Amino acid sequence: MTDDQIRTLVLREISKIAPEVESGQIDPALDLREQIDLDSMDILNLAIAIHKVTGVDIPEADYPKMASLNGCVGYLRARMPRS
Amino acid sequence: MGWLQTENLKRAVTERLLYSVLLLKAVALAAHEIPEINGFWVDGAFKPSEAIHVGVAISLRQGGLIAPAIHDVGKKSLDEIMVNLRDLVNRVRAGVLRSSEIADATITVTSLGEQGVETVFGVVYPPQVALVGFGKITERPWAANGMVGARPVMMATLAADHRVSDGHRGGLFLATVDRLLQEPEKL
Repeated sequence: MTDDQIRTLVLREISKIAPEVESGQIDPALDLREQIDLDSMDILNLAIAIHKVTGVDIPEADYPKMASLNGCVGYLRARMPRS
Repeated sequence: MGWLQTENLKRAVTERLLYSVLLLKAVALAAHEIPEINGFWVDGAFKPSEAIHVGVAISLRQGGLIAPAIHDVGKKSLDEIMVNLRDLVNRVRAGVLRSSEIADATITVTSLGEQGVETVFGVVYPPQVALVGFGKITERPWAANGMVGARPVMMATLAADHRVSDGHRGGLFLATVDRLLQEPEKL
């Protein structure tokens, strides 16, 4: 997948968890928890959703690497087949 | 926390536990030992509850909090509580909660650590007679066995109805929660 495809995928899953958030609101460099008020259950639900779509297992210890949208893209890019 | 991290490493992502589950189970087991914090004040008297239905304060995405109950928490495994909690949070935020789930908690837990709150000064939801608050997990210097080290520490507080319990029983309750959380593998 390309970075854009990964970004779109992550934003789609975030929109299911936090439907009131518009993707344009999200600064890709900033912490998602703080920007859109995600809690630990939301983060777990996001990890599960990403796993179901991509097959990538995200250990808890790696959650900090996925704190921002840019972080999610970089993390998943390194673990998914390139297109 | 170390136990939980190790435990979650062994689990598939869909089966991971949140630390809130440990708190809920510890509160339910402690309420079994100190029963005067579990029940209702109605018609001028305390009606203890045999069942321990723990209300969980859940924030709504559009603002506000509600505290629906997970039933019989003390009798459930951590996995069962996690399944119930996940289902409850998802349904609360999707707005598809049954009214009975909001009305029958016998004690409430509010965990505000994720909002950065270190100490919760809770207010009891009448007719319940107790609310347990948990704050943020912070790393603090901690002395044990003559050694000082950094340990994750969380502040637990109890708001309780003095017509039913007192500071002594409240202190015993919190001490019991503390003791139970020191051995999470036994919960």
